[in-house]
Amino acid sequence: MRIRAFVVVCIGALILDTALAPEIEILGARPDFLILAIVYGGLGAGVRIPIIAGFLMGLTVDSELPEYFGLNALALSITAFVSASLLDRLVKSNILVQCSVIFGGTLLRDVIFYAAYYRDSLDIFGHVFVRYSLIGAGYTVAVGLLIHVMARLANWRAITGALRR
Amino acid sequence: MLSPLTRLLRGNRDLATLVICVLLSAIALSLPTGVKVVVSTIVSTPVLRPLKRLATAADGLTRLREENERLRRLAMELVEERAALVSQGHENERLRELTHFMVGFAAEERFDLLPATVIGMPGGRIIEGIEINAGAASGVQAGMPVVVPDGLVGKISSSVRARSLIEPLTSASSAVAVTIERSRVRGVVRPRYGGASELLDWQMDYVPARSDIRVHDRVITSGLGGVYPAGLVVGDVSSVDEGPLTMTVHVDIAVDLSTIEQVFVLKGLAAPSPERDAMMQTLLSELATEAAPSATTEVAPSATTEGGAP
Repeated sequence: MRIRAFVVVCIGALILDTALAPEIEILGARPDFLILAIVYGGLGAGVRIPIIAGFLMGLTVDSELPEYFGLNALALSITAFVSASLLDRLVKSNILVQCSVIFGGTLLRDVIFYAAYYRDSLDIFGHVFVRYSLIGAGYTVAVGLLIHVMARLANWRAITGALRR
Repeated sequence: MLSPLTRLLRGNRDLATLVICVLLSAIALSLPTGVKVVVSTIVSTPVLRPLKRLATAADGLTRLREENERLRRLAMELVEERAALVSQGHENERLRELTHFMVGFAAEERFDLLPATVIGMPGGRIIEGIEINAGAASGVQAGMPVVVPDGLVGKISSSVRARSLIEPLTSASSAVAVTIERSRVRGVVRPRYGGASELLDWQMDYVPARSDIRVHDRVITSGLGGVYPAGLVVGDVSSVDEGPLTMTVHVDIAVDLSTIEQVFVLKGLAAPSPERDAMMQTLLSELATEAAPSATTEVAPSATTEGGAP
Protein backbone atom coordinates (compact mmCIF):
# COMPACT_ATOMS: atom_id res chain seq x y z
CA MET A 1 0.00 0.00 0.00
CA ARG A 2 1.37 3.39 -0.91
CA ILE A 3 2.34 5.90 1.73
CA ARG A 4 -0.42 8.35 0.86
CA ALA A 5 -3.06 5.66 1.04
CA PHE A 6 -1.61 4.52 4.34
CA VAL A 7 -1.84 8.09 5.70
CA VAL A 8 -5.47 8.27 4.60
CA VAL A 9 -6.16 4.91 6.26
CA CYS A 10 -4.55 6.13 9.50
CA ILE A 11 -6.57 9.35 9.54
CA GLY A 12 -9.71 7.35 8.82
CA ALA A 13 -8.84 4.99 11.67
CA LEU A 14 -8.39 7.92 14.06
CA ILE A 15 -11.77 9.31 13.03
CA LEU A 16 -13.44 5.94 13.48
CA ASP A 17 -11.67 5.37 16.81
CA THR A 18 -12.86 8.75 18.09
CA ALA A 19 -16.31 8.97 16.57
CA LEU A 20 -17.58 5.49 15.85
CA ALA A 21 -15.95 3.15 18.35
CA PRO A 22 -17.81 4.51 21.43
CA GLU A 23 -21.11 4.07 19.56
CA ILE A 24 -20.58 0.42 18.72
CA GLU A 25 -19.42 -0.84 22.09
CA ILE A 26 -20.34 -4.42 22.94
CA LEU A 27 -20.16 -5.36 26.62
CA GLY A 28 -17.92 -2.37 27.16
CA ALA A 29 -15.40 -3.52 24.53
CA ARG A 30 -14.60 -1.57 21.38
CA PRO A 31 -12.93 -2.60 18.14
CA ASP A 32 -9.38 -1.28 17.83
CA PHE A 33 -9.40 0.61 14.56
CA LEU A 34 -5.79 1.73 15.04
CA ILE A 35 -4.57 -1.87 15.06
CA LEU A 36 -6.66 -2.57 11.97
CA ALA A 37 -5.08 0.45 10.27
CA ILE A 38 -1.61 -0.75 11.18
CA VAL A 39 -2.28 -4.29 9.98
CA TYR A 40 -4.27 -3.64 6.83
CA GLY A 41 -2.73 -0.28 6.00
CA GLY A 42 0.75 -1.64 6.54
CA LEU A 43 0.37 -4.58 4.17
CA GLY A 44 3.07 -4.18 1.59
CA ALA A 45 4.50 -1.11 3.33
CA GLY A 46 7.31 -2.92 5.08
CA VAL A 47 7.93 -2.57 8.81
CA ARG A 48 9.25 0.94 9.34
CA ILE A 49 6.28 2.81 8.03
CA PRO A 50 3.76 0.97 10.24
CA ILE A 51 6.02 1.64 13.24
CA ILE A 52 6.13 5.35 12.51
CA ALA A 53 2.39 5.40 11.82
CA GLY A 54 1.72 3.57 15.09
CA PHE A 55 3.94 5.99 16.96
CA LEU A 56 2.23 9.07 15.50
CA MET A 57 -1.27 7.71 15.97
CA GLY A 58 -0.32 6.76 19.53
CA LEU A 59 0.90 10.27 20.25
CA THR A 60 -2.33 11.69 18.86
CA VAL A 61 -4.41 9.44 21.08
CA ASP A 62 -2.12 10.21 24.03
CA SER A 63 -2.95 13.89 23.82
CA GLU A 64 -6.27 12.95 25.35
CA LEU A 65 -4.48 11.52 28.37
CA PRO A 66 -1.68 13.98 29.25
CA GLU A 67 -0.63 12.12 32.39
CA TYR A 68 0.40 9.11 30.31
CA PHE A 69 1.56 11.05 27.26
CA GLY A 70 3.69 8.66 25.21
CA LEU A 71 2.22 5.42 26.51
CA ASN A 72 -0.02 4.71 23.54
CA ALA A 73 2.81 5.75 21.22
CA LEU A 74 5.02 3.18 22.90
CA ALA A 75 2.38 0.45 22.78
CA LEU A 76 1.43 1.07 19.18
CA SER A 77 5.04 1.33 18.02
CA ILE A 78 5.91 -2.04 19.51
CA THR A 79 2.66 -3.59 18.29
CA ALA A 80 3.25 -2.25 14.80
CA PHE A 81 6.79 -3.61 14.81
CA VAL A 82 5.67 -7.07 15.89
CA SER A 83 2.66 -7.18 13.56
CA ALA A 84 4.47 -5.87 10.52
CA SER A 85 7.44 -8.16 11.15
CA LEU A 86 5.18 -11.19 11.43
CA LEU A 87 3.22 -10.28 8.30
CA ASP A 88 6.48 -9.67 6.48
CA ARG A 89 7.53 -13.24 7.18
CA LEU A 90 4.17 -15.00 6.80
CA VAL A 91 1.63 -15.33 3.98
CA LYS A 92 0.07 -11.94 4.65
CA SER A 93 -2.95 -12.40 2.38
CA ASN A 94 -4.06 -15.47 4.33
CA ILE A 95 -7.13 -14.57 6.28
CA LEU A 96 -6.18 -16.73 9.25
CA VAL A 97 -2.79 -15.06 9.44
CA GLN A 98 -4.40 -11.64 9.29
CA CYS A 99 -6.91 -12.55 12.00
CA SER A 100 -4.21 -13.98 14.24
CA VAL A 101 -2.03 -10.92 13.83
CA ILE A 102 -4.97 -8.62 14.54
CA PHE A 103 -5.94 -10.61 17.62
CA GLY A 104 -2.38 -10.79 18.92
CA GLY A 105 -1.68 -7.15 18.10
CA THR A 106 -4.77 -5.94 19.95
CA LEU A 107 -3.85 -7.99 23.00
CA LEU A 108 -0.22 -6.85 22.87
CA ARG A 109 -1.21 -3.19 22.73
CA ASP A 110 -3.58 -3.69 25.69
CA VAL A 111 -0.98 -5.59 27.67
CA ILE A 112 1.62 -2.86 27.23
CA PHE A 113 -0.82 -0.05 27.91
CA TYR A 114 -2.67 -1.54 30.89
CA ALA A 115 0.48 -2.99 32.44
CA ALA A 116 1.86 0.54 32.62
CA TYR A 117 -1.44 2.13 33.50
CA TYR A 118 -2.24 -0.31 36.34
CA ARG A 119 1.37 -0.97 37.34
CA ASP A 120 0.48 -0.46 41.02
CA SER A 121 -2.55 -2.78 41.03
CA LEU A 122 -1.99 -5.81 38.87
CA ASP A 123 -5.24 -7.46 40.00
CA ILE A 124 -7.17 -4.69 38.23
CA PHE A 125 -4.91 -5.19 35.22
CA GLY A 126 -5.86 -8.88 35.17
CA HIS A 127 -9.54 -8.08 35.50
CA VAL A 128 -9.47 -5.45 32.74
CA PHE A 129 -7.48 -7.76 30.48
CA VAL A 130 -9.93 -10.63 30.90
CA ARG A 131 -13.05 -8.50 30.97
CA TYR A 132 -12.32 -6.07 28.12
CA SER A 133 -9.13 -6.92 26.21
CA LEU A 134 -10.13 -10.42 25.11
CA ILE A 135 -13.61 -9.31 24.00
CA GLY A 136 -12.11 -6.24 22.35
CA ALA A 137 -9.59 -8.39 20.47
CA GLY A 138 -12.35 -10.70 19.30
CA TYR A 139 -14.45 -7.72 18.26
CA THR A 140 -11.50 -6.25 16.33
CA VAL A 141 -10.97 -9.57 14.55
CA ALA A 142 -14.66 -9.58 13.60
CA VAL A 143 -14.37 -6.10 12.11
CA GLY A 144 -11.16 -7.22 10.39
CA LEU A 145 -13.02 -10.14 8.83
CA LEU A 146 -15.67 -7.75 7.63
CA ILE A 147 -13.01 -5.57 6.04
CA HIS A 148 -11.46 -8.64 4.42
CA VAL A 149 -14.81 -9.70 2.97
CA MET A 150 -15.45 -6.20 1.68
CA ALA A 151 -11.97 -6.14 0.17
CA ARG A 152 -12.69 -9.42 -1.59
CA LEU A 153 -15.97 -8.07 -2.95
CA ALA A 154 -14.26 -4.88 -4.08
CA ASN A 155 -11.30 -6.88 -5.40
CA TRP A 156 -8.94 -4.80 -3.29
CA ARG A 157 -5.78 -6.74 -3.92
CA ALA A 158 -3.60 -5.03 -1.36
CA ILE A 159 -5.52 -6.99 1.26
CA THR A 160 -6.62 -10.08 -0.61
CA GLY A 161 -3.34 -11.25 -2.12
CA ALA A 162 -2.05 -9.49 -5.20
CA LEU A 163 0.97 -8.36 -3.25
CA ARG A 164 1.69 -11.84 -1.94
CA ARG A 165 5.38 -12.50 -1.81
CA MET B 1 30.27 -1.47 23.95
CA LEU B 2 28.35 0.67 21.52
CA SER B 3 29.73 -0.71 18.34
CA PRO B 4 27.81 -4.05 18.31
CA LEU B 5 24.53 -2.18 19.01
CA THR B 6 25.35 0.36 16.34
CA ARG B 7 26.17 -2.42 13.95
CA LEU B 8 22.88 -4.16 14.77
CA LEU B 9 20.85 -1.02 14.25
CA ARG B 10 22.66 -0.15 11.04
CA GLY B 11 21.98 -3.64 9.76
CA ASN B 12 18.32 -3.59 10.78
CA ARG B 13 16.65 -0.31 9.96
CA ASP B 14 13.27 -1.55 11.16
CA LEU B 15 14.67 -2.27 14.57
CA ALA B 16 16.40 1.09 14.58
CA THR B 17 13.11 2.82 13.82
CA LEU B 18 11.46 0.95 16.65
CA VAL B 19 14.25 1.88 19.05
CA ILE B 20 13.93 5.53 18.08
CA CYS B 21 10.15 5.45 18.55
CA VAL B 22 10.48 3.67 21.88
CA LEU B 23 13.06 6.19 23.04
CA LEU B 24 10.86 9.09 21.98
CA SER B 25 7.91 7.49 23.78
CA ALA B 26 10.01 7.03 26.90
CA ILE B 27 11.11 10.65 26.73
CA ALA B 28 7.48 11.73 26.33
CA LEU B 29 6.50 9.62 29.32
CA SER B 30 9.24 11.05 31.46
CA LEU B 31 8.43 14.67 30.73
CA PRO B 32 7.17 16.78 33.66
CA THR B 33 3.40 16.88 33.92
CA GLY B 34 3.17 20.57 32.95
CA VAL B 35 5.15 19.99 29.79
CA LYS B 36 3.04 16.93 28.96
CA VAL B 37 -0.11 19.02 29.22
CA VAL B 38 1.33 21.70 26.94
CA VAL B 39 2.50 19.14 24.39
CA SER B 40 -0.83 17.31 24.58
CA THR B 41 -2.64 20.57 23.91
CA ILE B 42 -0.35 21.32 20.98
CA VAL B 43 -1.04 17.89 19.49
CA SER B 44 -4.71 17.84 20.43
CA THR B 45 -5.70 21.26 19.08
CA PRO B 46 -4.99 20.76 15.37
CA VAL B 47 -5.53 17.01 15.17
CA LEU B 48 -7.97 15.71 17.74
CA ARG B 49 -10.25 18.72 18.05
CA PRO B 50 -11.64 18.40 14.50
CA LEU B 51 -12.08 14.68 15.10
CA LYS B 52 -13.85 15.36 18.38
CA ARG B 53 -16.02 17.89 16.65
CA LEU B 54 -16.88 15.29 14.07
CA ALA B 55 -17.68 12.81 16.84
CA THR B 56 -19.85 15.38 18.60
CA ALA B 57 -21.65 16.11 15.34
CA ALA B 58 -22.26 12.40 14.82
CA ASP B 59 -23.47 12.11 18.40
CA GLY B 60 -25.69 15.16 17.92
CA LEU B 61 -27.11 13.62 14.77
CA THR B 62 -27.89 10.41 16.63
CA ARG B 63 -29.54 12.35 19.44
CA LEU B 64 -31.46 14.42 16.93
CA ARG B 65 -32.67 11.23 15.30
CA GLU B 66 -33.72 9.79 18.65
CA GLU B 67 -35.49 12.99 19.59
CA ASN B 68 -37.17 13.05 16.20
CA GLU B 69 -38.39 9.48 16.80
CA ARG B 70 -39.59 10.40 20.29
CA LEU B 71 -41.44 13.47 18.98
CA ARG B 72 -42.96 11.40 16.22
CA ARG B 73 -44.29 8.93 18.79
CA LEU B 74 -45.55 11.81 20.91
CA ALA B 75 -47.31 13.31 17.89
CA MET B 76 -48.96 9.97 17.18
CA GLU B 77 -50.13 9.74 20.79
CA LEU B 78 -51.47 13.29 20.64
CA VAL B 79 -53.31 12.58 17.41
CA GLU B 80 -54.88 9.50 18.99
CA GLU B 81 -55.71 11.45 22.13
CA ARG B 82 -57.26 14.22 20.09
CA ALA B 83 -59.33 11.73 18.10
CA ALA B 84 -60.53 10.22 21.38
CA LEU B 85 -61.42 13.66 22.74
CA VAL B 86 -63.30 14.60 19.58
CA SER B 87 -65.15 11.29 19.74
CA GLN B 88 -65.98 11.87 23.40
CA GLY B 89 -67.14 15.38 22.58
CA HIS B 90 -69.48 14.06 19.91
CA GLU B 91 -70.74 11.40 22.28
CA ASN B 92 -71.27 13.99 24.96
CA GLU B 93 -73.28 16.12 22.56
CA ARG B 94 -75.29 13.14 21.39
CA LEU B 95 -76.03 12.02 24.93
CA ARG B 96 -77.08 15.53 25.88
CA GLU B 97 -79.46 15.58 22.92
CA LEU B 98 -80.79 12.15 23.87
CA THR B 99 -81.28 13.20 27.46
CA HIS B 100 -83.07 16.33 26.38
CA PHE B 101 -85.30 14.28 24.12
CA MET B 102 -85.91 11.66 26.78
CA VAL B 103 -86.90 14.18 29.41
CA GLY B 104 -88.81 16.48 27.06
CA PHE B 105 -90.67 13.71 25.30
CA ALA B 106 -91.63 12.06 28.53
CA ALA B 107 -92.76 15.36 29.97
CA GLU B 108 -94.88 16.25 26.94
CA GLU B 109 -96.27 12.87 26.00
CA ARG B 110 -96.31 11.15 29.38
CA PHE B 111 -94.57 8.11 27.97
CA ASP B 112 -92.29 5.76 29.78
CA LEU B 113 -89.08 5.79 27.72
CA LEU B 114 -86.51 3.04 28.07
CA PRO B 115 -83.08 3.99 26.68
CA ALA B 116 -81.18 1.22 24.94
CA THR B 117 -78.00 0.82 22.92
CA VAL B 118 -77.85 -0.67 19.44
CA ILE B 119 -75.67 -3.79 19.56
CA GLY B 120 -76.25 -5.28 16.13
CA MET B 121 -77.81 -4.82 12.73
CA PRO B 122 -78.54 -8.15 11.07
CA GLY B 123 -78.99 -7.97 7.32
CA GLY B 124 -76.94 -6.98 4.32
CA ARG B 125 -77.53 -3.95 2.15
CA ILE B 126 -80.95 -3.47 3.71
CA ILE B 127 -81.33 -3.11 7.44
CA GLU B 128 -83.79 -5.89 8.23
CA GLY B 129 -83.46 -5.75 11.99
CA ILE B 130 -81.81 -3.76 14.76
CA GLU B 131 -80.69 -5.52 17.90
CA ILE B 132 -80.66 -3.60 21.18
CA ASN B 133 -79.40 -4.42 24.65
CA ALA B 134 -82.74 -4.15 26.45
CA GLY B 135 -85.09 -7.08 26.69
CA ALA B 136 -87.92 -8.68 28.56
CA ALA B 137 -86.08 -8.22 31.84
CA SER B 138 -86.46 -4.45 31.38
CA GLY B 139 -90.12 -4.76 30.43
CA VAL B 140 -89.64 -4.68 26.66
CA GLN B 141 -92.34 -6.53 24.73
CA ALA B 142 -93.07 -7.21 21.08
CA GLY B 143 -95.00 -4.38 19.41
CA MET B 144 -93.54 -1.53 21.46
CA PRO B 145 -92.56 1.46 19.29
CA VAL B 146 -88.93 2.53 19.15
CA VAL B 147 -87.90 6.14 18.57
CA VAL B 148 -84.89 8.44 18.47
CA PRO B 149 -84.92 12.25 18.75
CA ASP B 150 -85.25 12.53 14.96
CA GLY B 151 -88.33 10.36 14.76
CA LEU B 152 -89.70 6.85 14.50
CA VAL B 153 -87.33 3.86 14.11
CA GLY B 154 -89.77 0.95 14.12
CA LYS B 155 -91.26 -1.47 16.61
CA ILE B 156 -90.04 -4.36 18.71
CA SER B 157 -90.54 -7.60 16.81
CA SER B 158 -89.19 -10.03 19.40
CA SER B 159 -87.69 -9.88 22.83
CA VAL B 160 -85.63 -12.19 25.02
CA ARG B 161 -84.34 -11.59 28.54
CA ALA B 162 -81.66 -8.99 27.83
CA ARG B 163 -82.02 -8.31 24.12
CA SER B 164 -84.66 -7.29 21.66
CA LEU B 165 -84.96 -7.10 17.91
CA ILE B 166 -86.49 -4.05 16.27
CA GLU B 167 -88.39 -4.29 13.01
CA PRO B 168 -87.29 -1.00 11.41
CA LEU B 169 -89.07 1.09 8.82
CA THR B 170 -86.85 -0.50 6.18
CA SER B 171 -88.33 -3.93 6.82
CA ALA B 172 -90.46 -5.20 3.95
CA SER B 173 -93.27 -6.01 6.36
CA SER B 174 -93.25 -2.55 7.93
CA ALA B 175 -96.44 -0.49 7.57
CA VAL B 176 -97.10 2.65 9.60
CA ALA B 177 -100.44 4.42 9.79
CA VAL B 178 -99.61 8.07 9.21
CA THR B 179 -101.16 11.44 8.67
CA ILE B 180 -99.99 14.67 7.08
CA GLU B 181 -99.45 17.00 10.01
CA ARG B 182 -100.69 20.10 8.19
CA SER B 183 -103.75 18.80 6.36
CA ARG B 184 -104.47 15.64 8.42
CA VAL B 185 -104.71 13.48 5.27
CA ARG B 186 -104.20 9.85 6.30
CA GLY B 187 -102.42 6.93 4.69
CA VAL B 188 -99.99 4.09 5.29
CA VAL B 189 -96.21 4.41 4.80
CA ARG B 190 -94.41 1.35 3.45
CA PRO B 191 -90.93 0.79 2.01
CA ARG B 192 -90.84 0.29 -1.74
CA TYR B 193 -88.42 -2.23 -3.20
CA GLY B 194 -87.03 -2.57 -6.72
CA GLY B 195 -86.43 -5.70 -8.76
CA ALA B 196 -83.22 -6.80 -7.03
CA SER B 197 -84.63 -6.32 -3.55
CA GLU B 198 -83.24 -2.82 -3.62
CA LEU B 199 -84.85 -0.32 -1.30
CA LEU B 200 -86.05 2.54 -3.51
CA ASP B 201 -87.88 4.79 -1.10
CA TRP B 202 -90.94 4.99 1.15
CA GLN B 203 -94.39 5.45 -0.25
CA MET B 204 -97.57 6.68 1.39
CA ASP B 205 -100.45 4.49 0.17
CA TYR B 206 -104.23 4.84 0.28
CA VAL B 207 -104.19 8.59 -0.38
CA PRO B 208 -107.23 9.74 -2.34
CA ALA B 209 -106.66 11.81 -5.49
CA ARG B 210 -106.56 15.58 -5.12
CA SER B 211 -105.72 15.39 -1.41
CA ASP B 212 -104.09 18.42 0.11
CA ILE B 213 -100.48 17.22 0.21
CA ARG B 214 -97.42 19.28 -0.69
CA VAL B 215 -93.74 18.56 -0.90
CA HIS B 216 -92.01 19.06 2.48
CA ASP B 217 -95.19 18.40 4.44
CA ARG B 218 -94.38 16.61 7.66
CA VAL B 219 -95.60 13.02 7.99
CA ILE B 220 -96.41 11.83 11.50
CA THR B 221 -98.00 8.72 12.99
CA SER B 222 -101.79 8.90 13.07
CA GLY B 223 -102.35 6.60 16.04
CA LEU B 224 -104.66 4.38 14.00
CA GLY B 225 -103.94 0.68 14.15
CA GLY B 226 -102.96 0.73 17.80
CA VAL B 227 -99.27 0.07 17.32
CA TYR B 228 -97.76 3.56 17.23
CA PRO B 229 -99.09 6.45 19.31
CA ALA B 230 -100.12 9.55 17.39
CA GLY B 231 -97.65 12.34 16.72
CA LEU B 232 -94.35 10.51 16.20
CA VAL B 233 -92.37 12.01 13.33
CA VAL B 234 -91.98 9.61 10.40
CA GLY B 235 -90.53 11.94 7.74
CA ASP B 236 -91.27 14.53 5.08
CA VAL B 237 -93.04 14.37 1.73
CA SER B 238 -90.38 14.33 -0.97
CA SER B 239 -92.61 14.21 -4.07
CA VAL B 240 -96.24 13.84 -5.06
CA ASP B 241 -97.58 12.12 -8.21
CA GLU B 242 -101.25 12.72 -9.07
CA GLY B 243 -103.18 9.69 -10.38
CA PRO B 244 -106.79 9.35 -11.57
CA LEU B 245 -108.00 7.71 -8.38
CA THR B 246 -105.16 7.95 -5.86
CA MET B 247 -102.06 10.01 -5.26
CA THR B 248 -98.60 8.52 -5.04
CA VAL B 249 -96.81 10.26 -2.20
CA HIS B 250 -93.09 9.61 -1.71
CA VAL B 251 -91.70 10.07 1.79
CA ASP B 252 -88.18 10.69 3.07
CA ILE B 253 -88.02 9.10 6.50
CA ALA B 254 -86.56 11.29 9.22
CA VAL B 255 -84.21 8.78 10.79
CA ASP B 256 -80.95 7.59 9.24
CA LEU B 257 -81.17 4.00 10.42
CA SER B 258 -77.60 3.17 9.48
CA THR B 259 -76.11 5.60 12.00
CA ILE B 260 -78.26 5.25 15.10
CA GLU B 261 -76.53 4.15 18.30
CA GLN B 262 -79.02 4.93 21.06
CA VAL B 263 -82.76 4.37 20.86
CA PHE B 264 -85.74 4.68 23.16
CA VAL B 265 -88.45 2.08 23.59
CA LEU B 266 -91.87 3.54 24.28
CA LYS B 267 -93.05 1.27 27.02
CA GLY B 268 -96.47 2.79 27.35
CA LEU B 269 -98.26 5.63 29.00
CA ALA B 270 -97.04 6.65 32.40
CA ALA B 271 -99.53 7.11 35.16
CA PRO B 272 -100.39 10.79 35.79
CA SER B 273 -98.23 12.12 38.61
CA PRO B 274 -97.72 15.73 39.76
CA GLU B 275 -94.31 14.81 41.24
CA ARG B 276 -93.19 13.35 37.92
CA ASP B 277 -94.36 16.45 36.06
CA ALA B 278 -92.49 18.69 38.49
CA MET B 279 -89.35 16.62 38.16
CA MET B 280 -89.52 16.73 34.37
CA GLN B 281 -89.97 20.49 34.39
CA THR B 282 -86.94 20.87 36.67
CA LEU B 283 -84.84 18.66 34.43
CA LEU B 284 -85.96 20.55 31.34
CA SER B 285 -85.03 23.91 32.85
CA GLU B 286 -81.64 22.51 33.93
CA LEU B 287 -80.99 21.20 30.44
CA ALA B 288 -81.96 24.55 28.96
CA THR B 289 -79.37 26.33 31.13
CA GLU B 290 -76.72 23.76 30.25
CA ALA B 291 -77.34 24.04 26.52
CA ALA B 292 -74.05 25.89 25.99
CA PRO B 293 -71.53 23.67 24.15
CA SER B 294 -68.87 24.28 26.81
CA ALA B 295 -70.93 22.46 29.42
CA THR B 296 -69.10 19.32 30.51
CA THR B 297 -71.77 17.39 32.34
CA GLU B 298 -72.25 13.98 30.83
CA VAL B 299 -75.46 12.06 31.22
CA ALA B 300 -75.01 8.48 30.16
CA PRO B 301 -78.21 6.59 29.56
CA SER B 302 -78.32 3.15 31.03
CA ALA B 303 -80.17 0.32 29.40
CA THR B 304 -81.39 -0.90 32.75
CA THR B 305 -82.69 2.48 33.89
CA GLU B 306 -86.28 3.18 33.11
CA GLY B 307 -86.23 6.83 32.09
CA GLY B 308 -89.04 8.97 33.45
CA ALA B 309 -90.58 6.22 35.51
CA PRO B 310 -92.27 7.67 38.56
